[in-house]
Amino acid sequence: MNTRIFRTELRDEILGIVREPTALIFTVLMPIAFFALFATIFGDEGGFGIESLATYGAFGALSVVWTNPGVGLADARERGWLKIKRADGTPLGVTLSAKVAAALPYALITLTGIALVTRLTTGPMEMTQVLRIIAMLVLGALPFSLFSLAIGARFSTNAAISVLNTTLIPSVILSGLWFPLEMLPTWLGQIAVFLPPYHLGQLALAQVNGGPMWGHIAYLAGITVVGAVTAALAYRSAKA
Amino acid sequence: MEHVLEVRGLVHRYGDHTALSGVDLTVDPGECVALLGPNGAGKTTLVANVIGLIEGQADHIEVAGGHPRNSATRRKLGIVQQSVGFPRALTVEEIVDGAAIRRGQTLEAASQAIAEMGLTGLEKRRASELSGGQQQRLQLAMGLVADPVLLILDEPTEGLDVEARRRFWDTIRRRLDAGAGVLITTHLVDEAAAVADRAVVIDRGRMVADGTPDELRRRLPDRRITMQTKTPASVIRALDTVETVEVRDGRTVITTTDSEQVVRALFALDPEASDLTVATASLEEVLIAITNHEEVAA
Repeated sequence: MNTRIFRTELRDEILGIVREPTALIFTVLMPIAFFALFATIFGDEGGFGIESLATYGAFGALSVVWTNPGVGLADARERGWLKIKRADGTPLGVTLSAKVAAALPYALITLTGIALVTRLTTGPMEMTQVLRIIAMLVLGALPFSLFSLAIGARFSTNAAISVLNTTLIPSVILSGLWFPLEMLPTWLGQIAVFLPPYHLGQLALAQVNGGPMWGHIAYLAGITVVGAVTAALAYRSAKA
Repeated sequence: MEHVLEVRGLVHRYGDHTALSGVDLTVDPGECVALLGPNGAGKTTLVANVIGLIEGQADHIEVAGGHPRNSATRRKLGIVQQSVGFPRALTVEEIVDGAAIRRGQTLEAASQAIAEMGLTGLEKRRASELSGGQQQRLQLAMGLVADPVLLILDEPTEGLDVEARRRFWDTIRRRLDAGAGVLITTHLVDEAAAVADRAVVIDRGRMVADGTPDELRRRLPDRRITMQTKTPASVIRALDTVETVEVRDGRTVITTTDSEQVVRALFALDPEASDLTVATASLEEVLIAITNHEEVAA
């Protein structure tokens, strides 16, 4: 029965995004547009190869999964719709996982857009490598959506938008997703290893340079557990 | 008979504020209980506990045979809450279908609930575009879809026009006849009293009265006499058992604890007095008297 409920919840979430796409246009198109702009301006200097799909793609995936589930949950809570869902007996895990799952197709659209820009600016790429990068980024983005839900369960819609947006950009810059860490002051670059987006970017980058993956996978798996517990606790104690 | 709702000794605190202090409440199958009380009395906190949104401390709490925090239990309830809003993007049909699926019901049950609440023809309309009354009916349709053993309705007629309210009470009567229990909070006290088998009054977190509407009305012995008479108010005020006298729109309105004696005295004073009515206190007046002045033992 929970599968049927999950399908319905997922359908509702996706319909909500498709029919009211304004917010998503920003989170889906903005990373693609930024990437196209940077690639156009700096493309001739090199450095916009498939590695950029890995690092900038990590930012693209994060911009969707970090903002949309949390803002959607905060909005549902403010409207009182969450109160209906909870009184209906909709299982907690189903509600939360539907919100997470609904964001993933849109992360995929962003990554496809960034991949197309990369293809246009750098020439042909090995398809299996591209697919591996995209798969890692979509799966690796999951824990971020859980933290997003935790924020959406605690803050009003406007506050959630502010919190999520103001934490996204600094964390991706400090994680080396926009610029190589070497471009940052050494002490600032050393913070990266403590930031989850860094590990997502490195995991994707490992698909290109053959670097180690398991440490990053373990880190992301760990924060997935922490994110799930945090989201569940925040949701349970949220004012409906 | 097994209760469909049984609450014993429910205490709920918000920080230092005690919203409910030891409330007992039962609802039987086929019984409609009106939960009454002034704003801030604790009604919504009680309902929120009963539908599992919050959890206070209770000696015993059982709803539809289970604990209200249990999801499976809540799926057996039909719930209408205050201050809810629907997602901007979903249609009436999608929302009621979703409610049916969450409760393990068929989409046919969803269609029936839509029809029962008079929403046929609005299935494809987005719920956020409905009027306040239509949204209230939509929420009730979601509640009815599970064929619930207990309906818990928090101000369900808020925003409904006269026709919609009539349809609503007809629906409630049908569900009662079919054996469902109903717990209802409403500020339309006398409207609820027409359907309720029992009225429970809570005030400042404590239950202060529990009985049939007639039993509660009898707790306020005052009768109101209205008539046209030439006898001055000062003379009437001096009669035994008369409590208040007012002249409104040319008619004299008298409250008394012994209407028969006062009516006889009034006709003795003015044999041509006319347009006489004698009314008992309304349940709303009883409620005001109970919650403003004194506790009434259950």
